[in-house]
Amino acid sequence: MSNPYVPILFLLALGFVFAAGSVFTSLVVGPKRYNRAKSEPYECGIQPSPRAEGGGRVPIKYFLTAMLFIIFDIESVFLYPFAVAFDQLGLFALVEMVMFIITVFVAYAYVWKRGGLEWD
Amino acid sequence: MSTLLSLHEAAGTFSESALHGIQTLAAEGKDNPRADFSDTPWWLSLVKALIIFVYLLVSTLMVIWFERRVIGRMQQRPGPNRNGPFGLLQTLADGMKAMLKEDNTPAKADRFVFTLAPLITATMCFIGFAIIPLAGEVSMFGHRTPFQLADSPIAVLFVLAIAGIGIYGVVLAGWSSGSPYPLMGGLRSSAQMISYEIAMGLSLVAVFLYSGSMSTSQIVGSQGSVWYIVPAFFSFFVYVITMVGETNRLPFDLAEGEGELTGGFHTEYGSMRFAMFFLGEYINMFTVAALATTMFLGGWQAPPGIAAINDGMFNEGWWGLLWFTIKLWMFMFVFVWLRGSLPRTRYDQFMRFGWKFLIPATLGWVVLVAFFRGAQNGWFGDAALEIAGRRFPVSSLAIVGLVAVGALAFGWWWDNRAMAREAAANETAPEEIDPYAGGFVVPPLPGQRLRETARVGAPALPEADPVTERPSGPAVFDFTDKEAPRG
Amino acid sequence: MTAALTALPTAFEAVKVDYAAVGPMLVVVAAALIGVLVEAFAPRLLRHTIQVVLTLTALVVAFVVLVLVSVDHHGVTVGGSIVIDGPALFMQGSLLIFAVLGILTMSERFGGRSADAFTPMGAATPGSPAEAAADRAGYATSEAFPLTMFAVFGMLMFVSANDLITMFVALEVLSLPLYVLTGLARRRRLLSQEASLKYFLLGAFSSAFFLFGAALLYGYAGSSDLSKIASAITTANGDLEGLLLPGVVLTLVGLLFKIGAVPFHSWTPDAYQGAPSPVTGFMAAATKLAAFGAILRLAYVGLEASRLEWRLGVAAIAVLTMVVGAVLSVTQTDIKRLLAYSSVAHAGFILVGVLAFDRTGVSGVMFYLVAYGLATIAAFAIVALVRSGGSEATHLSQWAGLGRKHPVLAGIFALLLLAFAGIPLTSGFTAKFAAFAPAIAHGGLAGVVMVVVGVLASAVTAFVYFRLIVLMYFTEPTGDDVAALTPSIASTIAITVGALGTVILGIVPGPILDLAGRVSQFIQ
Repeated sequence: MSNPYVPILFLLALGFVFAAGSVFTSLVVGPKRYNRAKSEPYECGIQPSPRAEGGGRVPIKYFLTAMLFIIFDIESVFLYPFAVAFDQLGLFALVEMVMFIITVFVAYAYVWKRGGLEWD
Repeated sequence: MSTLLSLHEAAGTFSESALHGIQTLAAEGKDNPRADFSDTPWWLSLVKALIIFVYLLVSTLMVIWFERRVIGRMQQRPGPNRNGPFGLLQTLADGMKAMLKEDNTPAKADRFVFTLAPLITATMCFIGFAIIPLAGEVSMFGHRTPFQLADSPIAVLFVLAIAGIGIYGVVLAGWSSGSPYPLMGGLRSSAQMISYEIAMGLSLVAVFLYSGSMSTSQIVGSQGSVWYIVPAFFSFFVYVITMVGETNRLPFDLAEGEGELTGGFHTEYGSMRFAMFFLGEYINMFTVAALATTMFLGGWQAPPGIAAINDGMFNEGWWGLLWFTIKLWMFMFVFVWLRGSLPRTRYDQFMRFGWKFLIPATLGWVVLVAFFRGAQNGWFGDAALEIAGRRFPVSSLAIVGLVAVGALAFGWWWDNRAMAREAAANETAPEEIDPYAGGFVVPPLPGQRLRETARVGAPALPEADPVTERPSGPAVFDFTDKEAPRG
Repeated sequence: MTAALTALPTAFEAVKVDYAAVGPMLVVVAAALIGVLVEAFAPRLLRHTIQVVLTLTALVVAFVVLVLVSVDHHGVTVGGSIVIDGPALFMQGSLLIFAVLGILTMSERFGGRSADAFTPMGAATPGSPAEAAADRAGYATSEAFPLTMFAVFGMLMFVSANDLITMFVALEVLSLPLYVLTGLARRRRLLSQEASLKYFLLGAFSSAFFLFGAALLYGYAGSSDLSKIASAITTANGDLEGLLLPGVVLTLVGLLFKIGAVPFHSWTPDAYQGAPSPVTGFMAAATKLAAFGAILRLAYVGLEASRLEWRLGVAAIAVLTMVVGAVLSVTQTDIKRLLAYSSVAHAGFILVGVLAFDRTGVSGVMFYLVAYGLATIAAFAIVALVRSGGSEATHLSQWAGLGRKHPVLAGIFALLLLAFAGIPLTSGFTAKFAAFAPAIAHGGLAGVVMVVVGVLASAVTAFVYFRLIVLMYFTEPTGDDVAALTPSIASTIAITVGALGTVILGIVPGPILDLAGRVSQFIQ
């Protein structure tokens, strides 16, 4: 087995067959009784509130979180190879990585002080 | 091919000459070979995939029953006990019932994505388990093979990537339902998962620093002498918190928040498509717990005392599966225990905790661990102290000292600040208040007296009502005492 | 096979960094990071002052380091990704001077609490109560200064990048802050935001082009290092020949976008018009210089051996750029758009010098960039002063009769226009001469054609500038309340330096031309 990812595909296929099979089976064996109220959005039994086309606008907060996520996720991904090869890289890489972390911390401090991490 | 070989040789000679000193100092983790799949034909991989698949399904059936029973005990009631011995078949019965229910698709939903989302969740949750070593090398149908579906130099990264794909299931489910509650639930849930994924990813860096590898089999192998929960205890602490956040379990199940979002991203789902989310959530619990076991608790290796019995008899072959399963279920119990005892956190507190504490603290911890490793490697000088038969480099002791001093200083500053805040909060209210100060009527606190104003109902602020006729002359208006600080 | 691959990274060698050579860059990026911290921690009222002092000090220190230390540290450093040679040092020095002038114009307050050019709160909806409240509360986007410093850092790296990866990183580092700065104008917010979005989208496209081309060149040469690409071109056996030309074309498209060459110029008028005027001046001067620095290095170090394959195409672009820039500037009615099209035309003139493929071409281009940059920063600083009802009076009709109301200001502006037109005794003339002469001497027939087109295009643009001068001096003022504000000392310095530079480079260009000539040798 030369490629280590082929067995993972086996598991993927098993999982997909199981999931799709169960959903399909339930579609076949389950009852179907049409009722207009059932296809309305669920809002605790009251009339559903009207909704803007295309889903409406999403609070900007989530976009900000997504951007911050990218910054810090990339940072941690950079830390991975550094950590794995730590012993071979030597003191130089340690100092460089500390510089890198400090640089990201500057951005972190800015975001924090400017309220980017607050949820209101 | 030949160029690669010559490159390999060149690299080998170079590393021997130049890196000899470092390599002798390097961690024992370097010498641990990766899992050897050379004697594993493809059909055996398929069999192993099937075994892992069944293992996960059975575990899920068990853990739902387990959860309900344990929570039942915690709440002084029996829990499900009708179907099968001890109610063991309860989950199966629930699953069959879900299958026989009507699978309704809301009119406003995006039909394709609405079906796709649960499939993504249910499919992706399985494959995270592929790189987890459930046991060491075992014999299976005449072949020696590691009881692990696959391994790669970036195995741990692979699990995190799969967890990232799993988030799509939640987001797409929330978006495609065409209804406000699921949309909010999906957004919240994705924001929550990505926020905690950072801290989770960072907490693992310390383990990589010790193991020198991201391959799960090597990480387990390098924990022969001491489990990483000891040197990387803070990482373990952070990981356990984030793993609860990642799986949307109480006390962090804000995505579902029944009280506010009626069920979050899966509000509109029913029948088997809902069951797929349910399945995904529980298998994700197993995956993160299995990763915790592998990274911090020595994976499939026997606990220290037992590992020593009879020259490591219990530390080989199929025994590994037993230890692994026991460790896994310890985490499951913790999950259930948390759910049984803690209330849900507020969303802003949850996010603040993740962004303002976990991330910076874990980053600091990673830097600290890196310096420790550097000190062990002798990068800051060779001086060392002998204490109780173990060598401690002076530099690492210096780091410990510095951190201790820093922690004390920080604690002192923090305490001072807290005291100042408390003092500010506990400032005693004045005995007499002007009920109209600030323009709004303020009732007195217990023990306070109302000040008598000149005319009942007249605004107390002179500038607030300049046209009203007043007795002229300052002497009349300047009646009793401090009039100035109002407003 | 897999064993060989996994065993490879056991050897690691730390790269050698010549800190003296890259000192100016380190100073600038350190100041930018400190600037971010100032934004986070300093009290709001002090931020503007702290930022201005910090950035100016850092730029001066960086310039001093450059002149005193880095000049003695020629060579390839940082693992082969940065090269410090004559052209790199010359252009870094000019960039730092432009940055000082740019910061001086950006710091103009006109007696207010914060920089006049920048909006109090970029995130607020234009015209909303939130914006007004932010203004009242004394909010200010003094982030503009650290952003400028990051852009300057990217530019310094861009002109000294020795491989395509570094060049791409530098391109992004210099572009991203500029996209943000473009959207921060205090007045005409919607126009500014639209400009920012256009600039960002088209810039992202061009970055993608550059990256794709870099990937193809890497596939061709097996290295992203410019000198290795050069040697791959000379020694290639023709196997991967199909990758070379597409790679060259795509990388050049990415860079030509940054200088605003036709047909990649469409962002220029919008971005120049929407951006705050001081930012426009800085952007026009410094970005153009940095991008031409990168083009020079790519063309002269990396791709020179293959120039016969792409030179004619770039020559066609140069001709097109000159013609389109000159002709469209005739039809403009907005002063900032007019200057934008004039900058497009200038990009064409400079390209003529680039295509000479001779040392004199390099020095001519560098001289042109300095002359043009000084004049542009001063010109946009003056544009920022002419106001009508609080906002900038950018319509040409509003400039009628300005020479009578403000003779000094209009005089300086007329001088700068003469320089743009290339009239003798201004820097524009010497610059055009320095850029065109090598093209005639070494450019062959294509060079001569380009120079002829260039001279004709200059004549067309000269018409535009003279029309503007006539408008300022010989036309009755309209009834508008157009007036020029009195600049503070900072703006005055910037305008004075720009105008003086224009005159001096026109009358005694010798020292700078000599300097540019002496340092025009790239390290291969």
